Amino acid sequence: MQGHVLVVEDSELVTSALSVLLESAGHRVSVAASVAEALALSPAEPRSLVLLDLTLPDGDGLALVEPLRALRWSNVVALTGHDDPDTRARCISAGCVDVLVKPVPARELVSKVATWLG
Amino acid sequence: MSRVESITRPLPMTGTTTPEARVATLEAQLKEAIVEIAELRARDALKTQFLANISHDLRTPLTAVITHGEILRDGILGDLSPRQMESVRGIINGGRQLLNQVGEILTYARGAANQLTLVPTRFGIREVLDQISTLNAPLVKKKRLTLVIDAEPDLPPVMADREKIAHVLANLLGNAIEFTPTGGRVWVRASRASLEKSEQITSLLVEVGDTGVGIAAEHHDLIFREFAQVDATPSRPHHGTGLGLTIARKLVELHGGRIWVESELGSGSRFYFMVPFEQTD
Repeated sequence: MQGHVLVVEDSELVTSALSVLLESAGHRVSVAASVAEALALSPAEPRSLVLLDLTLPDGDGLALVEPLRALRWSNVVALTGHDDPDTRARCISAGCVDVLVKPVPARELVSKVATWLG
Repeated sequence: MSRVESITRPLPMTGTTTPEARVATLEAQLKEAIVEIAELRARDALKTQFLANISHDLRTPLTAVITHGEILRDGILGDLSPRQMESVRGIINGGRQLLNQVGEILTYARGAANQLTLVPTRFGIREVLDQISTLNAPLVKKKRLTLVIDAEPDLPPVMADREKIAHVLANLLGNAIEFTPTGGRVWVRASRASLEKSEQITSLLVEVGDTGVGIAAEHHDLIFREFAQVDATPSRPHHGTGLGLTIARKLVELHGGRIWVESELGSGSRFYFMVPFEQTD
């Protein structure tokens, strides 16, 4: 199922790689590079998903989960560099539907995104 | 003369000074030394923090390199010729290896800064042994080694941080495989033992052994220290961060356990670690 993926991530290196990957899989990709940019977004369309980096230049990515949900971006998946149970638990309790550790294998990311977009 | 040398050099005790004057000099030097030590500790902490930050930051560009490589490898942008595929696989493998090494440095830095915390769960060591053995199977096959995994029957489950115990095992087994020549034997054996002189069986004992090059007795302590590689010759046939055993020791000690080696040059090595079945704090 194709849809709209919002990538909230401050590294242009990472967003460009994810854009190539997800656009090739047929999704529309938007990028927000900071908490402020993400908060300025319009409400989500049906079949949308957020890939959320945890450390953003102007704050904690997890603080965005609630406001994004209010904008009907309810499918939020955390993307993190920390592979530890602490981080995982923090993401899940903040309301993320899943936690992925960077670098997520390309094929795995494509298949997971398809599943979440259902 | 550096500040450190000024602390450690012998004190000037000659001359015609009185005992009182000498005491005063010594007291002044002691005060100075205390200040210097505090300053060095603070600088060491800054350096450790720098190491943690830089290794974390290195992960971002590496992530991009690996993802772009996988996009090409998986044919997402079209099919590759066999030679292009070989080259792209080289980029991915190099990137993954570098990412692992950066991860080791990050773990070391967090350990040195006491930023590692345990998340204990109850698990059977057998599952972890099987997992590590599967992960290493390709390398074992490539070097035509015999890998034997053996756990005493009815071992109780251990209450420990599963990922960190797996990390210790991965580092020990990784070394065993690396330092054992083609055709050799490597084994991992889990059993129960008693910590210290207690009669009670309270700990899990894991042995990682090999028929490899072995380690001279004078190096048995050195290898667990940071940045030490016994073979520090310029050619360095064995690569890596040199932090594997330092990290293993840190992770075992966080569990209240201990780690040691029994080995002689030319007769293989047996690394042991012991962690209590129950965590008590």
